[in-house]
Amino acid sequence: MTALLHDVTFTCFGLSYLLALLLELAAMRWPRPRLRILGLVFGTLGLLTHSLYLASKHPTPAKPYGALLSVAWVLAIFYLYGALHYTRRAWAIFVLPIVLGLVGLAFVVVRQSAPPSESELMFGMSGDHIWGAVHGVLLLLASVGVCVGFIASIMYLIQARRLRKKLNPLGGMRLLNLERLEQMNRQAVNLAFPLLTLGLLLGAVLLEQYHNLANQWFSPKVLGTFGLWLVFLVLLYLRYAVHVPARRLAWFTILAFSLMVLVLVAAHPFAQAEGRS
Amino acid sequence: MNLRILGCNFQTATVDLREKLAFNPEQQELALRELQSRYGCEAAILSTCNRVEMMIARGPDELPFDIGLASEFLGEMHHVPASAVLPLLYEHVNEFAVRHLARVTASLDSLIVGEGQIAGQVKQAFEFAQKLGTTGPLLNALFPHALRTAKRIRTETGISHGHVSVSSVAVDYVRQVFDHFQDKTVLVIGAGKMARLTLKHLEDLKPGRILVTNRSPQKAQEVASMCGGQPWPWEQLDVALSQADIALSTTGAPEPIMPAKRFHEKVLPHRGSGILVVLDIAVPRDFDPSIHDGDRVCVFNIDDLTRIREQTIAARQKHIYPAEQIVEQEAKRFQNDWDRRKSGPIIQQLRTQVDKVRVQVVGPLLGKLNGKLTPAEKEYIEGAFKLFQNKLLHTPIAALQEASKEGESRKLMEAIRKLFGLSE
Repeated sequence: MTALLHDVTFTCFGLSYLLALLLELAAMRWPRPRLRILGLVFGTLGLLTHSLYLASKHPTPAKPYGALLSVAWVLAIFYLYGALHYTRRAWAIFVLPIVLGLVGLAFVVVRQSAPPSESELMFGMSGDHIWGAVHGVLLLLASVGVCVGFIASIMYLIQARRLRKKLNPLGGMRLLNLERLEQMNRQAVNLAFPLLTLGLLLGAVLLEQYHNLANQWFSPKVLGTFGLWLVFLVLLYLRYAVHVPARRLAWFTILAFSLMVLVLVAAHPFAQAEGRS
Repeated sequence: MNLRILGCNFQTATVDLREKLAFNPEQQELALRELQSRYGCEAAILSTCNRVEMMIARGPDELPFDIGLASEFLGEMHHVPASAVLPLLYEHVNEFAVRHLARVTASLDSLIVGEGQIAGQVKQAFEFAQKLGTTGPLLNALFPHALRTAKRIRTETGISHGHVSVSSVAVDYVRQVFDHFQDKTVLVIGAGKMARLTLKHLEDLKPGRILVTNRSPQKAQEVASMCGGQPWPWEQLDVALSQADIALSTTGAPEPIMPAKRFHEKVLPHRGSGILVVLDIAVPRDFDPSIHDGDRVCVFNIDDLTRIREQTIAARQKHIYPAEQIVEQEAKRFQNDWDRRKSGPIIQQLRTQVDKVRVQVVGPLLGKLNGKLTPAEKEYIEGAFKLFQNKLLHTPIAALQEASKEGESRKLMEAIRKLFGLSE
């Protein structure tokens, strides 16, 4: 069983997600229920192998590849839930590329870096670093919120464009309505902001606790996360104080997502400290 | 198979003639009972505004219910001379009838291809006849087959995608914007016939509030009482628009009642961040089309809605060929199943009979040789007899199946019964 767990690789879940996406695209072109069911089967397989990979390798979220894989895993759950809930909507076509993108990015990152050491693997798991783990989980959930907001924003912009161009409301791919998408984006941002704020504050305290990390305040990861927090603040201000139209808010959310990907890819000061010790 | 579908549709008969030949439920019941008692046949009648058809199945040896009989019967039922009915009728026979019913049910033979109503009407016609007991083995197999085929076509092709009425397209647009309607306000401007039709569709969404405004307060009151809304003063149109989520406009005003300048100055600044959907189905238009920005305000006028309707009808055309292929496949499958069903019992009887004879011969033989044969030798002898039996039966069974496919199995079945001593 342990050997089987160790045999699970990036390829297993990456290919499963890719096949699920291809089948969803095929189902959009040729509407056959069996194509959609097969897509769901591969999506589920992808999630299963992805979970096994995380369970066996438990990569640290403090490392880019760990963070990317963890966010991708939560999004894969989000994909499966949505695909089962909104069976007639082009859900997977929007969520799976993000999952695949994050997995692909993790693959590139892990190939370019040295294999994780035992101390890295145990990072965040020991009692000493419990607050580090809380900090990681908060930022991870905030990242998921940003991803959900991003997906809702992309869908919103496409749907709004279709309405602006007065295209056939039932033609092409079926999307959620504007109100639902706007609500999804709003809830994701509203949820992500406090998580991000708490995670950031906890991170600041932890940076202070690590006597050798005083010089890390200006690391790309910390600066990027702070920048992301600022973008969120502006986003909330525009939504609730200025009542900016939802389309512009969608563009802002996309900006926040781009920044988040950069932050995820950047090396974490804690992990660097662990590597040095 | 002795199956006929006879009738007329929008292509062969004008609407007044179709009206004369249409059946109401009482007439339909009477006609079905008459068909059964007079001709001893299985019968079902499909009567819609676009077609009147009789599905008649008789025994293989009986004379078919032909177009002459059908015109006489329809003429008698509706007090129209048979000579006037005859030129309107078409007749589909056996496998063509199977295809025809599948095409009708799948709405390939409809005035608007892909409309969804006909499948329900076919189902009703079948259930009605079934309830009266005028269906039999053939129609009981034929109708479910046609309904299954139609379902397959709907699922596997895009033939029924989209809506083809302007009101439905308008509601489709509204649904692309809003998720729920309990907290939404619908504003009805004017009281044209089209407004009432579209309003009926909007009412189905159960909006929280309906406001009705009209130059004539009486008309506003009248429409409001019909839809459970509240009348709103015409002079406060701008206020109503700043509160509305959906505006349905159908005034007969010769000039736009809402020019862009007025909208941007008096309405838009007073609205929150919510989207306003304007369904402007007035001719000439009530709202300046430049108001539409697809973000805060979406204006869909009659041209937009008609264009979508035409696009949908045109888009359905490309699905006709794949749908026809499905009809062809399913009709063949039905034919094969029916043939198998017809020759199946006699083949089964034949096998059982010859099995019995084999056991009668092999049993005593093996008894006599008991003790002289090894188990392997016994098995070999039994196998040889089985092989002999299969080889012997192969030709008559194959001939019977072939004859069933061609619809000429009756005499052969009779011969096999006599030759092998099978019961009737």
